[in-house]
Amino acid sequence: MDTLLDRAVDLMAQAGASYGDIRIRRDRTETLAVKNGRPDHIARSDSAGLGVRVLVDGAWGFFGTHRLQPDALEAAVREAVAIARASTAIRAEPVRLAPVDPVRAQYETPCRQDPFAVALETKLDLLVRATQAMAGPNLKLAQAFFSAFDTRQQFASTEGARIEQHIVQAGGGIAATAIAGGDLQVRSYPNSFRGNFCTGGYEYVEAMDLAGEAPRVAEEAEILLAAPPCPEGRRTIILDGGQLALQVHESCGHPIELDRVLGMEIAYAGDSFLTLEKLGTFQYGSEQVHIVADATCPGGLGTFGYDDEGVPAQKTPIVEAGRFVGYLSSRETAPAIGRTSSGAMRASGWDRIPLIRMTNVNLMPGRAGSLDDLVADTDDGLLMLTNRSWSIDNKRLNFQFGTEMCREIKKGRLGQVYKNATYTGITPQFWGACDAVCGPEAWRLWGTPNCGKGQPGQTARVGHGVAPARFRNVQVGVKA
Amino acid sequence: MSPAAEKKGESVEIRERRLLTIGQALVQASDADETEVLLADGRSYLTRFAGNRIHQNVGAEEATAVIRAVVDKRIGVATADSLEADALEAACASAIAIARASEPDPDWPGLLKPRTIKPLRAYHTATALVTAGTRAAFAGRIIEAAKRKGGEAAGIIEVGEGALAVINSRGVAAATSHTRAESNALVTCDDGSGWAEAVAVRFPDLDADRLGARAALKADISRAPRSIDPGRYDVVLEPPAVGEWLQYLAYVAFSGKNFDEGRSPLSGRLGERVTGEQVTLWDNPRDRRTLPQPFDYEGMPTRRLTLIRDGVAEGVGTNHYRARRLGKRVSTGSALPASSSMECLPVHLFMKGGASSPRRLLEGMKRGLLVTRFHYTNILDPMKTVLTGMTRDGTFLVENGKIVHAVRNLRYTENVLAALGRADGLSRRLTLVPGPCVVPTVRLRGVQFSGTTEF
Repeated sequence: MDTLLDRAVDLMAQAGASYGDIRIRRDRTETLAVKNGRPDHIARSDSAGLGVRVLVDGAWGFFGTHRLQPDALEAAVREAVAIARASTAIRAEPVRLAPVDPVRAQYETPCRQDPFAVALETKLDLLVRATQAMAGPNLKLAQAFFSAFDTRQQFASTEGARIEQHIVQAGGGIAATAIAGGDLQVRSYPNSFRGNFCTGGYEYVEAMDLAGEAPRVAEEAEILLAAPPCPEGRRTIILDGGQLALQVHESCGHPIELDRVLGMEIAYAGDSFLTLEKLGTFQYGSEQVHIVADATCPGGLGTFGYDDEGVPAQKTPIVEAGRFVGYLSSRETAPAIGRTSSGAMRASGWDRIPLIRMTNVNLMPGRAGSLDDLVADTDDGLLMLTNRSWSIDNKRLNFQFGTEMCREIKKGRLGQVYKNATYTGITPQFWGACDAVCGPEAWRLWGTPNCGKGQPGQTARVGHGVAPARFRNVQVGVKA
Repeated sequence: MSPAAEKKGESVEIRERRLLTIGQALVQASDADETEVLLADGRSYLTRFAGNRIHQNVGAEEATAVIRAVVDKRIGVATADSLEADALEAACASAIAIARASEPDPDWPGLLKPRTIKPLRAYHTATALVTAGTRAAFAGRIIEAAKRKGGEAAGIIEVGEGALAVINSRGVAAATSHTRAESNALVTCDDGSGWAEAVAVRFPDLDADRLGARAALKADISRAPRSIDPGRYDVVLEPPAVGEWLQYLAYVAFSGKNFDEGRSPLSGRLGERVTGEQVTLWDNPRDRRTLPQPFDYEGMPTRRLTLIRDGVAEGVGTNHYRARRLGKRVSTGSALPASSSMECLPVHLFMKGGASSPRRLLEGMKRGLLVTRFHYTNILDPMKTVLTGMTRDGTFLVENGKIVHAVRNLRYTENVLAALGRADGLSRRLTLVPGPCVVPTVRLRGVQFSGTTEF
């Protein structure tokens, strides 16, 4: 493969590219789904290819191919250059890249047990036992999930960078679905939509104790069926980690992507309310709110060594005591804010260009102790648990989330269970109403394995470290 | 000749035969009791523009093999993004290893037997040969239309071509080729924005001037949007908005797997009235008004499937496995690739129109909203088909049949099956929108808008 890398760099330079890079990448995935005690869907995939990106006369061109052969490489470079030249017909200012020191480096995420090396029977047994531990009169679906991702990539640029990376990620979870009387309620652990994920190995999934949590999860699904719907009104709410992670993802992670801010995604996912003049001055949230984008965070699903432009992983301040101070950026976009790249460019595969993607966008722990402490400190409110639905406008202002479960809080104690709870708000108002964030003891990492962006579509795996937090005067439910 | 095969001197027909030959060799060499091979080979190009310039411009040649192996009624699936022999053999071995580690499925009906598939051409050679220069010129025309209104344009031009083949050990050997062209335009004029989109088998069927002019006109009249209070409003939904609702409805209601598992709002309700009698929905991959597909991903010939007729639930989309579990002899031809845990889904949706026109639908509205499209729709309650999402890129207050001003975007939270049942007017003309969905413009009474935003 080194020969292909060297050849690609030579070809790109010979073709007149002022900058060029090549990624040779192989992605392996394994997904297991068990339903009601037996395998429901087991699939593996293996994808290898190369992607060539060139900057010619100040415009980009990219071409990817699954054929890892010299003739295919030469054709790919020709295609990428031809595409770039066509781009020059309609461009404004030539693209200029923020500087980066080209490095020769290797990086690997720690992994105690290679999830692909663990016998399939062992993994299935763990999931089967978890589903067998879920029971209830209305329990129609007891599901357990496991996923693993293995990415090996070689990167080379015309500037002299040579980087090899190997990233292993794993995750899993369980879900109980109770159905009766035209109602359907789902309860999940440790998170909804197939569980929680990290960079790491099979040890991460084993430590979840899926079978141990299964009876509670099934019982709560049954309780939800019988529970009343959550009443509408303006309330104090506490979000648990899983729900808060997605709140951070949607209302902070996406609007700080500098390509969105500059309008590059406007026709698809949208742009951002965090426009350039707000940098350093805008009060995004209350003084309790401290957010960083940290690609170096051990175990995070958005953790790596170098991004797909060869920029080292970094920890970038985003919100400091509520004030908006930073973006996720790339080499192309960073000059717009007078900075160097924050190292956030990642592609979903060899056949896609890198885009600005979240790393681990983390809400830093506060001083409110454990979740129990925060509940005890709340006189009248609602505890919202585990995401069920999400939606947010194209500037990332108006959001609405639903959670699997909701608990009434009265005088510091948990009470009535509600189902079908939703809450809605406007991003800076909502974060401005955050008056407490739990402490380090409650802080943990959550993985979002399905972050969509770009055209053609790309799915990224990103992370969010959060501790549960409290928000005042939030609209719960929909006003009739 | 397909671009992917150009260098090999390969016609579309020869490429299809090549895929069939590869698949048949793999099936014959497989140690599994039954083997199914799905092969895809093609190229796609996408030019993306924003701020009146091309900022991303990409292409890729991609190949995929999805192999389903069955051993003693145990099933394994493996995918390789390659058509090279070593990669295919490794994927086949992986699928067999998975099957052997799995448990028997007593309901497994065996792979599909071959059936006669009526050919359906969906390949347009000139579309497969569209160059980056042509795409750039297309973008340029949209941008010029935006500039004429003092606006900025963003959007895409995408073209793709490919071949698909399904081969299995019971004798299925089907192949087809397709092209696809799609474009959309989002024009912003100050604080206004407008949208237009189109998709077709043939690139020449896309009209850059028309897309640009429509998006620019909407952006122009969207300037200075005003806030209105949330609440119930009559609405006219344009085809992109109708198409988005239909796709979500299909996902929650029309999947044979969800239906079988009791997770569909139609579970146990076929034959019952589930919405207003104005609503007739069907799936038909053979209709030339959509992006045609002659067979599904397990080689079953596609056909028209009625989902809801005059408000009464009539069917859901199945693959061979779900059809047999549901007591049907044959599937509806709605199989997804074996690598999809969703299994089956109708994805060529149609909604019956009425006798009206978009203009007359507006003129007949005393007070309500015109909605161009939705953003970030998601499911709140699958059994009640409650969805939520935002309006965007052209939302207008209509009074006494006339647009009076643009409004700031609104969040809806609504039971969409019930809302469609409150249609009091549908356009005669149906429009193909990406999805693909072929849908009318519809006017609905009393749609619930639950919130507003700041733009």
